[in-house]
Amino acid sequence: MTEQQLKNEAYKRGLAVRNTAVAAGCAAVLILSFIISMNTGYTKLSPQDTLRALFGGGTDKENLILFDFRLPRIVISMLAGMGLALSGCTIQGVSKNALADPGLLGINAGAGLMVVLYVMFFGAQTFLSVFTLPFLALAGAGAAAVLIYALAFKKGEGIAPLRLILTGVAVQAGISALTTLLVVKLDETQFDFVAAWQAGSIWGSNWRFVLALLPWLLLLIPYVLYKARVLDVLNMDDDVARGLGASVEGERRGLLAAAVMLAASCVAVSGSISFVGLVAPHLARRLVGPKHAILLPVCALTGAVLVSAADTAARVIVQPSEIPTGIMTAIIGAPYFLYLLAKSRR
Amino acid sequence: MNSIATENLAVAYDGNLVVDDLDMQIPQGKITVVIGPNGCGKSTVLKAVGRILKPRGGAVYLNGDDIRRLTTREVARKMAILPQAPQAPAGLTVGELVAYGRFPYQRGFGKLKSDDKKIIQWALEATRLTEFETAEVDNLSGGQRQRVWIAMALAQQTDLILLDEPTTYLDLAYQLEVLELLYRLNRGQSRTIVMVLHDINLAARFADYMIAIRRGDIIKHGAPEEVMTAGVLKECFHIDAEIVKEPRTGRPACVSYDLIRPTGDACDS
Repeated sequence: MTEQQLKNEAYKRGLAVRNTAVAAGCAAVLILSFIISMNTGYTKLSPQDTLRALFGGGTDKENLILFDFRLPRIVISMLAGMGLALSGCTIQGVSKNALADPGLLGINAGAGLMVVLYVMFFGAQTFLSVFTLPFLALAGAGAAAVLIYALAFKKGEGIAPLRLILTGVAVQAGISALTTLLVVKLDETQFDFVAAWQAGSIWGSNWRFVLALLPWLLLLIPYVLYKARVLDVLNMDDDVARGLGASVEGERRGLLAAAVMLAASCVAVSGSISFVGLVAPHLARRLVGPKHAILLPVCALTGAVLVSAADTAARVIVQPSEIPTGIMTAIIGAPYFLYLLAKSRR
Repeated sequence: MNSIATENLAVAYDGNLVVDDLDMQIPQGKITVVIGPNGCGKSTVLKAVGRILKPRGGAVYLNGDDIRRLTTREVARKMAILPQAPQAPAGLTVGELVAYGRFPYQRGFGKLKSDDKKIIQWALEATRLTEFETAEVDNLSGGQRQRVWIAMALAQQTDLILLDEPTTYLDLAYQLEVLELLYRLNRGQSRTIVMVLHDINLAARFADYMIAIRRGDIIKHGAPEEVMTAGVLKECFHIDAEIVKEPRTGRPACVSYDLIRPTGDACDS
């Protein structure tokens, strides 16, 4: 090897070490966020009490607070953060649009409409099963996504990224309008439920919701990670990707479907949480660059940190009441979105 | 021996039939350059041949095999195609982009094997980019960037490389740099090169074989001396060209030209 090649190899090794360190750092922040979150809430528990309870030496009250109230909620926020972040990263990759977000594919709007319909017909109290809601949300999100995809599809050209985004915005606005129309007809308890869902309060704070979400993630996250290499190639011009031997339309459809399912299942249990799918991939890209093999895992970690931190903050900022997590993520996410928008216009 | 042959090829673009009933042969191991006026189907033909555009009718044969019978991966191991002025994702390094050339050979998670790495290093050396391996593609000059894309195509290890106007947006020196690189690849490693070029003088200088196209039809094909004639250029571009033998290369060159009026031809967009 020449001197230059040796230098390059050393540089690449350094970069790999740095990326691993960044991923480890994100994991550490996530653990920190977990600890802080465990200690945060209406009832004050000291870190020592928490630790003791975690290792099985807690009082009944401590156990109840930690294991039945806080832990499932923290786990849900982290899982939802991961799923939404990976969904956003996938959508940004295949649409080659840095401003794309699961919400743009109609996921939140479609799921929201189904939640409203469900509540209208079955009421807010008669929740038959937490396991039906992910499927319903998925049906709504899927229908919205298919509609957007079909409208954005042009024969002979396939799906142009810009058209996808514009169609997404339009369809989403339409569905939201319809939802609002229906919400007006709800009674008070139904309305409260829908409002809470729409604001993204992580209402599914018990273990059954974790169980309802987990299978989706266990199926979809490995699929998306497995497709890292394909996402890298789809991130370039379609003609380049085709030239390299990627079946662009098929892969794009598969990955979009996975992204829709990921976001829909997360949104079904966490409520309409927005901007995580937009912000987390951007943060991750800044940290480790555009290669999906490292970008996706780091993105999942940043997403988990974002939502769990937002959920923790949501619990403490206006104690003893709390603000919904979705509003917290929007408070962080919306300005960031505007910043990106301003930057992209330059 | 032909590397590519088309049979009754018909290609539509935006619903308009741009190419109809085209029979074209690309000789193996040669540099073939396609010339023609704007909007007359040069790029369309190249894309159809490179299976980026689906033909409306007819067939494309790659080394004698109907391209429809091959998977897109198999095609990518035989033929590399570079579109006009491609864009690299922000933040990607030269080495990373060149590594994408190994895509058609990878399976699963696709960690680069030592063979892949050797080929990438070789592609970087062949395009004189070794010192830029860790640089971001965005930070390079236009000529360097074009070399990076060519290096990616080289990493695909194909005998055949198609390029759509590889000299677009490049200044005179960079244009020559890119074309000389392709010339070296052709002569040194007998790779078949097919490209669309706007500049007919550069085309005549580097081509072994030229194809002049107008309105999706081949007007003339053959050696540069046969295609670079006043008669062909008149028919192809509607110009009155003065062709001389260029003193340095001995190739035909157009030293001056005038428009033939009235043009009134719908072909110029």
